Amino acid sequence: MKLRKFLHTVPMKLYLILTAVILFSFFSNDFSLVDIQKTAVILAAGIDRTDSGFALTAQLAVPKGEDRTTGGTSSVEIETEGETVSDCVTLIYTKTGWVPKLVFCDLIVIGEEAAKEDVVSYLNYFLRNDYMPDTCLLAVCEGKARDLISSQSALEDTSSLAVSQLFSDAALKSGRVVSKTLKDFAIDYYGVSASSCLPYVRKTEQPDGQGGSSGGAGGGSGSAGAQDTGSGSGAPQIYSAEETALFAEGKLVAVLPREQTLAYNLIGGKVVSGTFNAEEKGKPITLTVIRDKGKVSLKLEKEPVAELSLDLTLRLCCRSISAPIEDIASDRLSDEAIQNAGTVVRGYLEDLFKTCKESGCDLFLLKRSLYRSSLKKFAARKDSLLETVTPEIKVKVRSMK
Amino acid sequence: MKISTRQLLFFLACVAPVGKLILLPARLADAAQNDLLFPLLAHYLLQAGAVFLALLLARREESFTELLAHAFGRTGAAILSVLFALFLLFASLLPLLEQKLFVQNVFYDTLPAFIVYAPFFLFTAYVASKPLSSYGRVWDILAPLFLVGLAGILILSVGSSDFGAVAPAGAAGGSGFLKGVSSAFSWFFDAALLLPLLGKFRYTKGLAWKGALCYLAGGAAVIFFTAVFYGIFQGTAVNQLFGFTVTSKYFPGIAMLGRVDYLFIFLLALVMAFYNSMALQGSVECMLQAFGRKKYLPTVLSVIVSAGMLTAVTLLDRGFSDVLLGVGKWAFWIFPLFSVVVPALMLPLGRKRREAP
Amino acid sequence: MKNVAGDLNKTKEALKKLLPAEDILTFGFTSARGMEFCCVFADPITDKELLGEQVIRALSDYDGEAKAEEVAKKLTSPETKTEPSLEALADEVLLGNPVLLFAGMDAAVVVGTKKIFTRAISEPSTDVAVKGPREGFIEDFKTNTSLVRRRFKTGDLRIETSEVGKRSKTVVAVCYLDGIAPASAVEEVKKKLQEIEIDYIPDSSYLTHFLSSRPYSLVKQVGTTEKPDIFCAKLAEGRIGLLVDGSPIALTVPYLLIEDFQSSEDYFVPAYRATFTRLLRLFALIVAIYLPAFYIAAQLFKLQLFPIKLLLTISGSIRDIPFSPSLEMLLVLLVLEVLNEASIRMPKYVGMALSVVGALVLGETAVSAGFVSTPAIIIIAFSGIGLYAVPNLIEQTSVLRLAMLLIAGSVGTYGIILATAFIILYLVTTENFGTPLVAPYAPVVGSDLRDSLIKYNLGSLKQRPKTLRSPNRRRLA
Repeated sequence: MKLRKFLHTVPMKLYLILTAVILFSFFSNDFSLVDIQKTAVILAAGIDRTDSGFALTAQLAVPKGEDRTTGGTSSVEIETEGETVSDCVTLIYTKTGWVPKLVFCDLIVIGEEAAKEDVVSYLNYFLRNDYMPDTCLLAVCEGKARDLISSQSALEDTSSLAVSQLFSDAALKSGRVVSKTLKDFAIDYYGVSASSCLPYVRKTEQPDGQGGSSGGAGGGSGSAGAQDTGSGSGAPQIYSAEETALFAEGKLVAVLPREQTLAYNLIGGKVVSGTFNAEEKGKPITLTVIRDKGKVSLKLEKEPVAELSLDLTLRLCCRSISAPIEDIASDRLSDEAIQNAGTVVRGYLEDLFKTCKESGCDLFLLKRSLYRSSLKKFAARKDSLLETVTPEIKVKVRSMK
Repeated sequence: MKISTRQLLFFLACVAPVGKLILLPARLADAAQNDLLFPLLAHYLLQAGAVFLALLLARREESFTELLAHAFGRTGAAILSVLFALFLLFASLLPLLEQKLFVQNVFYDTLPAFIVYAPFFLFTAYVASKPLSSYGRVWDILAPLFLVGLAGILILSVGSSDFGAVAPAGAAGGSGFLKGVSSAFSWFFDAALLLPLLGKFRYTKGLAWKGALCYLAGGAAVIFFTAVFYGIFQGTAVNQLFGFTVTSKYFPGIAMLGRVDYLFIFLLALVMAFYNSMALQGSVECMLQAFGRKKYLPTVLSVIVSAGMLTAVTLLDRGFSDVLLGVGKWAFWIFPLFSVVVPALMLPLGRKRREAP
Repeated sequence: MKNVAGDLNKTKEALKKLLPAEDILTFGFTSARGMEFCCVFADPITDKELLGEQVIRALSDYDGEAKAEEVAKKLTSPETKTEPSLEALADEVLLGNPVLLFAGMDAAVVVGTKKIFTRAISEPSTDVAVKGPREGFIEDFKTNTSLVRRRFKTGDLRIETSEVGKRSKTVVAVCYLDGIAPASAVEEVKKKLQEIEIDYIPDSSYLTHFLSSRPYSLVKQVGTTEKPDIFCAKLAEGRIGLLVDGSPIALTVPYLLIEDFQSSEDYFVPAYRATFTRLLRLFALIVAIYLPAFYIAAQLFKLQLFPIKLLLTISGSIRDIPFSPSLEMLLVLLVLEVLNEASIRMPKYVGMALSVVGALVLGETAVSAGFVSTPAIIIIAFSGIGLYAVPNLIEQTSVLRLAMLLIAGSVGTYGIILATAFIILYLVTTENFGTPLVAPYAPVVGSDLRDSLIKYNLGSLKQRPKTLRSPNRRRLA
């Protein structure tokens, strides 16, 4: 009877114990977890090579407080050095007292020197980190990544946001920049082609009096004690990423100029409103891409041939005021302009293919095409494919009607 | 309360697949690279056959232990039932460890203390103390949640996938296929989960066929998801341990809206909590059939089973990969033995009764 | 059981013994022909004016025999009966019906001159409809039954009364449509009512405890309504209704969870609109319960749930808050609950002041002073509004919201998922009067889905809900 009475009250006792446990954990709240008040949100990271290992420049978001009227994002940069990237990230904690969280890291910039060795050897830290988004953008920069990250943007409070803005959808449609995420780069690297490309970012100084950034550093609580690398110091900068760094086996092997970057984007069929210049009657004209159909295919006869076919629909960007009214309205291209445009694009593509071949970068993923089409042929030709392949470029240009 | 045919089919088509969407794609990518779909298909065909056999047993309208008692007597049947209960506990170990990793990664930004996973065993203790047949209504709720969750994930993911990545077929060769098959056995024991349910649902006309087809339909969804998964990650798929939680984040709108895909992930996590507790409840049911149904026994057994699994998961917390590899290498045969061979051997047991219309 | 005796004084004494309370009065009078009468009545609940008019004046010149039947015929009251049992007479007195004793009686006469305290029929404040009937039940039992009877001009409407409560003897009416409500459920309701052993039933809510299969559960298992049109619609679907004397809230069984997402207005507006509002109610309820919990879980354990810009805004606003995010949210929630509780109970003229204090002092000033952050107040405000989208479930949902918040603050998002799993399992295993609470979703009842969260046009609702097991399923030809 007593046992039955006891068992009858067990559920209520369990409820009480459970409630007590929940309340205790609610108020103590410590499961080795880091809440919003202890977190350093890393917006971007720059990686440079040093003699002893790596230097990591992390751009941390700093809360602006209740006053949200000014808008923008304040940030502070912390630089750490260590033997590995992992060391560097851990050191952020010791320097700031905040726990660095990479979940919002949207940009990793690799310094020029660091890019000359196998970048995946240290990007693996990010790639295998479960708490790091692999949607993070990757870029190589001229000089040191620290200088780029710590520079003051003329357009944004935070340099990393200004750099990320270079890879907006609109910019990508213009064909002037390429964009690669950590995941895309890793897929290229671990794929049979082992080649990829990253945007190559340069900064140029904006003359005094231009640009409206107020600079974001130094405002946030918690930044005290951290090594402030002087975000916002120096003149405001404008960034550009029209060049493209080529990678083979994870190492920087060449940099494509802006024309070849455009050609690469055109052959990828991604360009919608990009422009380039050609000549008409000896004078330069600007042409806008309305429709872009590009394709790369591999033909295996005696020798492998890479067929780069491009079908462009263009229109004239600005026509002289003396042109006939119907031409102004339609922006139609003359035969001469069409021919010249074809020649220009063909030249870009030839140069692009040459650069890739010379640098050993399988940018067009020819090896992957071969692998997917035939295992046997791939086994036979994989080592010699890049040396022996020749381009067959087919450019078809038409005017918008 | 009996489980209806519809509820059972919901389980096979919409609940059983959820356990194969986390670690399995990465594991198969590791074993069979771009040929990962073939071992998966092989498992589904085999398991669908086992489901067919298990459902045929329902024609006897007897429980698992009662069926066994025809051949082995009451005592023998009780011993075999306890053995089967132990198998279910063993089989649930890997999914529970997998779920723990999933929880630690998906629900927390930094690695949390182990204790945060412990409430799951509170849940299993509660679930296992309920009659197994109450699952029928749970499946009615879970089926649409699963469909919404998986459809949401697939819609957000499919655009980022390069399906060409699964070509060329046969790149991993026969050894890759076999490696894939052997490493995936621990994910396929759904037919065994049906055995404790015997006697709790009526065999209706064509149930075995319908069940097998529904299981294959769920399998088709898993195979499609795995293809999408591999198309997204290709050579790096091996590193992507958390299947359905990582494929949808590349959807362009996510950057603007934030991780709205978490809504779908949470739905699937909810379905998974029930799916992973099913083996534990099945185990309690087998023990109850063996020992007899006394008033407080379900509660006591469910608490013991849940506490035992909590201990096991705690002890194996750091050695998950060793357990996974060990089971894949040495103990993989246990799964087909209990989920395929046992239902097949039980077919001649018991008397055939009239089918319900 | 003692009966009345021919001796008036002895009978009066015996009755007074059974009813020793001071407010039980006796009034003696003699007819013109010298026959002695005595009225025994409960002073506060007897209409003395009617008593004087219909009894005393009518008997003032009585010259008939000393027989109850004869005396009753002489009275001008439409409600009279004769009763020999003293105990039954005592009960009648307590109900407000005076008992007429007289010398040489064979039985006493009970006169229906009960004093009825009623308020006017008005629209219930908790169930306001823009379209549709606006009548509401009141405390008076007879008025309530008349409101029901007026809507069903059929003999199939059964209103079976019984008394519940050993001392209160509260009248409870079991209402159902014969041939439409399942007989087994009707019997079960009656049996449960008979088994109740309690002194006093002040309100229908007391009965819900006895009618529920899980009486200690947080989950509601008996439907409630204050509107006769809803009550009758439920009877027409095959449910059983209970009206309790003194309570404006009627009960209906079996109860389905989906009922509280349906409002009477849904049936008076186009189906697409009804569907939209039902889905909106569900959405609002989910937001109300889960939003504070997810907000806290995200801040503590999973920042990724926020878009970066929102995270920085939140991070900025909580920077100088002295409490942890979870404690801050708990405090704001408790303040809201206190304000809510106070605003219901406070006199109306203070209520305005309370609104000012709540909105300005607690809201604006607390943020300025850095006690709480703006996002926390916005989240709780959203949640608070959402809760009232389904007003009949507020008792349950406000507790769930608090529980979810505590769980989220303890173990984060996974705790919320597990708690949801608990709730699902609990709900699907709850049955009352043989009806699953979560039907038509678990188990799925295809035909009943036409009037669930999705509502079809009236023309498609040809059959009564299958879940209710009505013996006559067709309601529309």
